[in-house]
Amino acid sequence: MTILWPIALITFKEGIRNRAIYGITLVALLLFGATALVATMIPRDVGKVSVDMALSTVSFTGLLIVLFVGINLMAKDLDKRTIYTVLSRPISRPQYIVGKFLGMTMLIIVTMSILSLLAMAAIIMLKVLHADYFTRFTWQAIILADCLIVLMLIVLSAVSFLFASFTSSSFITLVLTIITYIIGQSLNGVKALIESPPQELGFSVSPMTMKLVQAAYYLFPNLSLFDIKLQASHALSVQSSFVLWTMMYGVVYIVLSISLAALIFRRKEFP
Amino acid sequence: MITINSISKELKEGITGKRVKALEGLDLEIKQGEVFGFLGPNGAGKSTTIKILMNLIFPDTGKAEIGGKNVQDPEARKVVGYLPENPYFYDYLTTDELLWFGGRTAGMDPKSISERSDILVQRVNLQNARKRPLRTYSKGMVQRAGLAMALIHDPDVVILDEPMSGLDPIGRKMVGDMLIELKGQGKTIFFSSHILNDIERFSDRAGIIINGRLKRVDTLQNLLSGGMDLEDVFMREVASAEGGAAA
Repeated sequence: MTILWPIALITFKEGIRNRAIYGITLVALLLFGATALVATMIPRDVGKVSVDMALSTVSFTGLLIVLFVGINLMAKDLDKRTIYTVLSRPISRPQYIVGKFLGMTMLIIVTMSILSLLAMAAIIMLKVLHADYFTRFTWQAIILADCLIVLMLIVLSAVSFLFASFTSSSFITLVLTIITYIIGQSLNGVKALIESPPQELGFSVSPMTMKLVQAAYYLFPNLSLFDIKLQASHALSVQSSFVLWTMMYGVVYIVLSISLAALIFRRKEFP
Repeated sequence: MITINSISKELKEGITGKRVKALEGLDLEIKQGEVFGFLGPNGAGKSTTIKILMNLIFPDTGKAEIGGKNVQDPEARKVVGYLPENPYFYDYLTTDELLWFGGRTAGMDPKSISERSDILVQRVNLQNARKRPLRTYSKGMVQRAGLAMALIHDPDVVILDEPMSGLDPIGRKMVGDMLIELKGQGKTIFFSSHILNDIERFSDRAGIIINGRLKRVDTLQNLLSGGMDLEDVFMREVASAEGGAAA
């Protein structure tokens, strides 16, 4: 652990000082402002709309941080050969990957905490202005939804580390991570759709397509599991067993991705 | 202190991935306290050798050891300070943070890091820039920060890949003085260069590598015997390698 901390800390510092973070925070502030404007246009549902939009903003800006700051943190080490500096120390390849990932996780947690506080400030402001329309509302659901967004971003970041371990450029890692995000968000819906009876669908799905979707279902992270914005905005209860299983799924996916990345990285050369 | 045993390495070249021999049966031994200059034209295999020593690439055959430990063991790098050619560090970190990182990863305590950083920052003349992000540094300043990082844990072995590259005359003198100082402290120094004068000034022994093959290894005294200068010796080896290749 003592060797991981310096790697994690410099990764975090390099990430948090990146100018892109300021730009993304500015985007978040604008979107929170838009939340206030849009929510007040729908007075009866102002509570639901404000929670949904605020959480969507946190999720979207978090995604930007993973894609445009996080991927660079790892990929720049390879592109610019900064990795020589790190690997010339008494650090093994797996330690480098784990340390770097811990730093990235710290960055996601800190930036998401700040963005979540801003989201809560926006919700509080609207709640004060429109208290009558916030009858079905719980902070507990919002905080839980926030935590699952953070976990989803950490899962996505772990997957991006896996891609960076075998690709040769940051651009390919970025593209693969975006594809994973899109597939991960739509997996549940597509699987449910193709598994519906043909009479309901109106067409039959070929066995090949069925197998492809099922393979993708087990291969790609099911990111839609982590999305409980709808429940949070409607103050619906979420079963604790669901939350527990989702968290375990996320942790297992992270451990597998990082272990595989470390394994690939052991034999990677930096000529 | 540094042992290289029959190392061969092929590297992929260009988009076709054509394999070229970068090193062929390299054998070399550098004793403790020795300053070894590794001389060769561009693409001769100097950096490839150093990257194998730093475990950045792996040999196809043979093995390398530092301080009796295989270079693939991270423990081997505990006694090594390394400065890559044209180093690039983290844009938003400062020299102080870079040195903290170097010290911590070498197992130093915060007090020792702070004391040693003060000495090194002064030595490489970065006192006024130590709190500034590295992205605001000139190439020479980055090189000096890298040298300070390589030396933060007072390593027994110092490996420098073209340490004078990109430095102005003042920077070159500073690095030269540091090499002499390190030699005085009994450190083992392995440095590569294609600048003959640098090899002549600082080395106890030098090796001439051409097309991945070590052509000659000897003390400076023996290399320069018979009234020849290093340029004559080097050019003769290049001509002999080219003649051999042509034949």
